[in-house]
Amino acid sequence: MSRKAAMGGARQPVGGATTTTTTTSTISTEDMCPVCKTIRYLNKDMEFLINPECYHSMCSNCVNRLFNDGPNQCPYAGCNKTLRRKGFRSAFFGDLGVEREVDIRRRVAAVFNQGEDDFETTTDYNNYLQMVEDLTFDLVFGTDRKRQEAEATLQRWEAEHTAQIEQNRRQGREADEMARRRLRAEKDAARLRRIEAVREAEEEKRERALTREAELDSIAQAPEGQGSSRVQLKRRGLAAAAGVNSAAPVATAAATDVGKLSIRGLKEKKKAVVHEGPYDPFGGLDFTPSRYRLGPDLKHQRIEDLRATMRYNPGGFRFEDWTAQLMFEAFAGLGVFVEDEKEVGIGLEAGRVASIGAGIAAVGDRMELD
Amino acid sequence: MEFNIDDLPVLFPYPRIYPEQYAYMCDLKKTLDSGGHCVLEMPSGTGKTITLLSLIVAYQQYYPEHRKLIYCSRTMSEVEKALVELKGLMKFRAERLGREEDFRGLGLTSRKNLCLHPSVKREKSGNLVDARCRSLTAGFIRDKKEKGEDVETCIYHDNLDSLEPHNLVPNGVWSFNSLLQYGEQHKQCPYFTARRMMQFCNVIIYSYHYLLDPKIAERVSKDLSKDCIVVFDEAHNIDNVCIESLSTDITEDSLRRATRGVQNLENRINEMRDSDEQKLKDEYEKLVEGLRGADEARQEDAFMSNPVLPDDLLKEAVPGNIRRAEHFVGFLRRFIEYLKTRMKVRQVISETPESFLAHLKEYTFIEKKPLRFCAERLTSLIRTLELTNIEDQRPLQEVATFATLVATYEKGFLLILEPYESDTAEVPNPVLHFTCLDAAIAIKPVFERFSSVVITSGTISPLEMYPKMLGFTAVVQESYSMSLTRRSFLPMIITRGSDQASISTSFQVRNEPGVVRNYGNLLTEFARITPDGMVVFFPSYLYMESIISMWQGMGVLDEVWKYKLILVETPDAQETSMALQTYRTACCKGRGAVMLCVARGKVSEGIDFDHQYGRTVICIGVPFQYTESRILKARLEFLRETYRIRENDFLSFDAMRHAAQCLGRVLRGKDDYGVMVLADRRFERKRAQLPKWISQRLLDSEAGLSTDMAVGSARRFFKTIAQPFADDEGVSIWGIDQLRAHQEKMAGEQILELQAQAQQNAMAAQVAAAAHEERPDSDYEMDEEGEAEMMALGV
Repeated sequence: MSRKAAMGGARQPVGGATTTTTTTSTISTEDMCPVCKTIRYLNKDMEFLINPECYHSMCSNCVNRLFNDGPNQCPYAGCNKTLRRKGFRSAFFGDLGVEREVDIRRRVAAVFNQGEDDFETTTDYNNYLQMVEDLTFDLVFGTDRKRQEAEATLQRWEAEHTAQIEQNRRQGREADEMARRRLRAEKDAARLRRIEAVREAEEEKRERALTREAELDSIAQAPEGQGSSRVQLKRRGLAAAAGVNSAAPVATAAATDVGKLSIRGLKEKKKAVVHEGPYDPFGGLDFTPSRYRLGPDLKHQRIEDLRATMRYNPGGFRFEDWTAQLMFEAFAGLGVFVEDEKEVGIGLEAGRVASIGAGIAAVGDRMELD
Repeated sequence: MEFNIDDLPVLFPYPRIYPEQYAYMCDLKKTLDSGGHCVLEMPSGTGKTITLLSLIVAYQQYYPEHRKLIYCSRTMSEVEKALVELKGLMKFRAERLGREEDFRGLGLTSRKNLCLHPSVKREKSGNLVDARCRSLTAGFIRDKKEKGEDVETCIYHDNLDSLEPHNLVPNGVWSFNSLLQYGEQHKQCPYFTARRMMQFCNVIIYSYHYLLDPKIAERVSKDLSKDCIVVFDEAHNIDNVCIESLSTDITEDSLRRATRGVQNLENRINEMRDSDEQKLKDEYEKLVEGLRGADEARQEDAFMSNPVLPDDLLKEAVPGNIRRAEHFVGFLRRFIEYLKTRMKVRQVISETPESFLAHLKEYTFIEKKPLRFCAERLTSLIRTLELTNIEDQRPLQEVATFATLVATYEKGFLLILEPYESDTAEVPNPVLHFTCLDAAIAIKPVFERFSSVVITSGTISPLEMYPKMLGFTAVVQESYSMSLTRRSFLPMIITRGSDQASISTSFQVRNEPGVVRNYGNLLTEFARITPDGMVVFFPSYLYMESIISMWQGMGVLDEVWKYKLILVETPDAQETSMALQTYRTACCKGRGAVMLCVARGKVSEGIDFDHQYGRTVICIGVPFQYTESRILKARLEFLRETYRIRENDFLSFDAMRHAAQCLGRVLRGKDDYGVMVLADRRFERKRAQLPKWISQRLLDSEAGLSTDMAVGSARRFFKTIAQPFADDEGVSIWGIDQLRAHQEKMAGEQILELQAQAQQNAMAAQVAAAAHEERPDSDYEMDEEGEAEMMALGV
């Protein structure tokens, strides 16, 4: 019963605040100084201060008025505390009961600062936590007797465990510092990444613009007929918002653009691709055999026999071509390793595999160059 | 129709089947066999639901495991529709098999829809129904009743206890209506019947909140067995559902009510200490043991894990400083006061949970660990205090959930404090958004718990985005095209007005008179040629209002008015449903109507405009999200940093899925037809992001049109579609014979493929062998002799 009364007493400002803020017609404690009755309407930047001696709030004008000339009694009726100007500060919480509780907690936490690692089992730690919480509750809401008891316990503990408390405090500070540093590092990293991403996006955009320019450029540089046909192709693909009348304006616009942007490096590259010279069906493949050399005349008994045979000398056919073919086929499989070529071979018939192999064999190392 | 897929006999309740339905079944079966997750996109209006149900039911009945199906859909009407389909399917199966199978299918919805209690069911709001129902059915109320105290209970609920707990309803499929009727006849509560029977049925159909929202899932879905098949239908928005289920907004008002809730708790504790102290002591004893220590039934994986209640929490004891009820109440009060103080700041703050916790600890001495237990501790306290009006405690519970989440997850969440509603607002209205950035967190338990999760919808392109965002790997990922015998829908992209000026709703040009006039022109032209109904989607309410007022000034609306009735969607649900009703009447009777709606509104998601209700849909502008929102910005950044999804990619993906949803509204089946118009310059480059079934039918010649050209081809389209047409079976629809033929063909192809492969293998072996034989003399220097022999061979 007594406990409830004490709690009620401590919470009085709370109840007041909640009821008055919900009903807007009355002036809430947030808007009126309880000492001088000034309302916020008359003083826009009114600020409320409290003193942790008694947690009675009043506006800063009152504080200056009452306590500028040294310590004075709290103006609240029935409060006999003597307050000093220095002790006043603005409250962090709207609920002054919580403000007071947190102040007490700060004191308790400074003394009871054991961490979970200091205990052997979680149960022990939990019991410790509960003990601390009970003590705090006694300090905050307890009757006078209980509060004194709790105060005594607190002091006793502090006296007994000075060294350990100091050590824990140091550790805590270090941990805090570490955490803070890590947070800062993470933030920095995130910022860097963000900048990087923005830069990348910009670069991409620029590159896209550049290739577009280059394309237009190459169109403008191209000979008459070719250029305009390419412009048309391009436009069909893009369906750009540019006019539909004729290709000429686009081309001329591109031509005028050329003067502004110098992109010579790109242009030269384009030119290098252009191929001059007669058409080569094999694309530059050399069929000269690498593993053997065909002499002017192959001397072999059997060849001589065959050469004499009518069947191997049909009209319009050179016997040398036939021998060259034979030689080619004979060497076709060499230099082909089935294990290496398996991937190429899948999906092809045996004959084609062989001919591919032959091609590779005939060309030798040149294959890799192309 | 009866056929086999591999060895599985499938009964399909229609005489014919679409080819894509068959393909869908095959892929689904593959997924179930392999026991993985899959993402499937099937065009809207091709009978996705029945395909899914008939395959999975066949699967259940054929294989001995009898895996349970959990089918999640978006709205209650969709759930009801699925139930009706299931009922038809089971009837067909019974006819074909000649016997009733041992089968139970149930749907679950809120108490409001399933209540029979004469006074409770008359309450207007769902929350009130829930609260009153709890006050009549809670466990301790019935305990009191048993003790002979005079308390009111619900007769419907009490009757359930006299029945066998595993046989509350007979076998069969129970739609909501039939369940209500059965409940009325047998005087038993349909809601609790459904909930208690969930363990014992083969198919459960409900909304996906029951599985994804941790607050509900904890109570409803936690003891579903591991081998269930989970299906998320209409899942194109699933990432947003996940995110919403874990995000909370805290306002000054909710904090005020939470404070009142704390006050209530305190009063109740004091009351109880005077009257019934034993109960508090019991709770305390239990908490000393651990949160669920008393629940010895809980095995390692008996329940689905809950993001709000991580598993490691259950194994640990509640921290000592919140074990006692009054300590916990003080703890809550301090936390709420701290939040109130934070809300007083008049500038935008965005911070990570970590820095929030550091600040919290500095000012209130609240550690991270007790904060993590907050939600569970509060639930336990409320249970102990036997509070019935849980509704009053809701703000407090929200704060507690927030506390738990903020202390549990370092990554994937962000706190954003916005003191003003808009940039121009003078009066502060602070909101603390605690926003989840990672959709994977909410859905993770589902993927972890269930071996097969199917995610399907009409529009979930690009498919690879979903596995990325939701953090899973899909074994099958497939998008089906729509097989059609004739072109029954005409997608077009209009990039220019009739005057060849490009049209776009991008921010710089959206209010230019030229653009507005061109859009107006587009609207009038299509209103002139479209028969019956026409739907127009705008990117936002704001833009819709401004463009409509500009049209009014230009006389565009007067012109449209000549051809069609004009109706507008508003944020108000009732107004909109009224407008829809009028729209439907106009489409059935008169010259039709134009419905102006918003691409992210209610109409774009749930309402079908089939047949005459929608012959043309116009999507004006790319429906991008409002990119200035801080929450969206935070999410984009998170996606980039965590999943390597670039901002623009995500925005474009999100816009296109909404555009596709809008387009899909008008085509609800194969006999349906319509014109789909995307009117914005920017659509040209986003073509590839449309679902396959749309982009496939979008010809090159119909992209990048100007209004007059588009009108020309639309007119031609409507003319051709009006020609008499015999649907020749075989292309877009298969009878049993064609299906057989297809199966044979597929089997043949498969055999050929296998043969070819075998041949390949054999040949490779041969070649390898040959190479092996020749290997010894491959480096051999050949002399003339050998050469000659080789030549002889060649002859």
